Amino acid sequence: MNNRLYAITRDLHLYLGLFLAPFVLVFSVSVFFLVHAWTPGAKGGAERHWTVENVQLPAALDTLAGRARVDALRGVLAQAGVTGEVGFVGHNVKAQRLTIPVMAPGRETVVKIDLAARRAEITERQTGVWDALVALHKAPGPHLVEIRRNWLPMRVWSWFADGTVYLLLFLSLSGIYLWAVLRAERRIGLVLLGAGLMTFLGVAYAVIS
Amino acid sequence: MPSSANWGARLTAWNRRLHYYVGLYLLFFLWLFCFTGLLLNHSKWAFAEFWANRQQSDREVAIAGVPPGGDLEQAREIARQAGLHGEIEWTRTRANAERLEFRVSRPGHIAEVKADFERGRAAIHRIELNAWGVTRILHTFTGVRMGDERNERDWGMTQAWAFSMDALAAGLIFLTLSSLYMWWRRSEKRRAGAIALACGAASCGWFVVGLRWFA
Repeated sequence: MNNRLYAITRDLHLYLGLFLAPFVLVFSVSVFFLVHAWTPGAKGGAERHWTVENVQLPAALDTLAGRARVDALRGVLAQAGVTGEVGFVGHNVKAQRLTIPVMAPGRETVVKIDLAARRAEITERQTGVWDALVALHKAPGPHLVEIRRNWLPMRVWSWFADGTVYLLLFLSLSGIYLWAVLRAERRIGLVLLGAGLMTFLGVAYAVIS
Repeated sequence: MPSSANWGARLTAWNRRLHYYVGLYLLFFLWLFCFTGLLLNHSKWAFAEFWANRQQSDREVAIAGVPPGGDLEQAREIARQAGLHGEIEWTRTRANAERLEFRVSRPGHIAEVKADFERGRAAIHRIELNAWGVTRILHTFTGVRMGDERNERDWGMTQAWAFSMDALAAGLIFLTLSSLYMWWRRSEKRRAGAIALACGAASCGWFVVGLRWFA
């Protein structure tokens, strides 16, 4: 029974770990960029500009806010040839302009709509693969709770992000079991586990207290 | 002289040991960042609410003998006199040499400071968060922000925490690479493992590269 449990746990640890490996790399590599507030090549990406005239605007756009406005703007974005996760929509009432930031990992687009002239000016910038890692690490994140996950691929990514956490927890627990079975490694493993706990508590206490 | 087979066996054994050792050492850091990652992505979870439950207080302290010099030196001196410690952040551009506004923060404790050198006083607005707030902020406490070149890490403990984040990331990269090596050495598992790895790479690659070009 124990041998069977060990074999199953070991196989699950291996295969789930292999499936998860690229996701762990995405989250790990992007940590360096986030911790040091620097992403190689993110500022110098290629830019593209274009304008779309006679944009069909949804009715009562002025009265909409939050998620309802984002959903209503999807059609406008489609006319402008833009797809992605919509961020905070700026509305300059006096100038009758909407500013819509749209993000896809590795690409940032800003759509400025002149409501009176029904004209959309679009600026798209390629921010590169490293910036894509950062964007994915931070998504969906704690901000713009009412409108986030408004693009299906980012909604799916949020499931993968959660799945990465749950699978990492499984991998760590199954890893503990696989280690505990190895008698020869128990003592040094316990020492390292204890050292890790002391380091964690020490640093966390120093930062918080 | 050891044969190449011996070297291979040693490398395999040590790779496996180090996989355990690094994983066990980093276990608590990993759990913290996993858990707080979930909290950040699910900020509507009511049990982890912290901002609505924050405690706020205001006080004023006398400040004296703040030396002329850079903003950071002056802010540090004011913080010292007010008994505050933490990462110093600039909240607004300084327009008047007689005034200095900044924030002193560490996870769960935020102090907004408005110093008036003419009056020799500093007004301090303190915000204290509950344990959920402390826990969540640990995930993002780096002292720097993308696109914000004015703020730099200036507190030793932030440096230590940022180093812990780097170390965890480096450790996870090592664990991933060492697991690839362990899998590759087990020839009977190569095919099934390759399928699992390919599924992960394809789904992850779709988000990293594919969305930009195909969506």
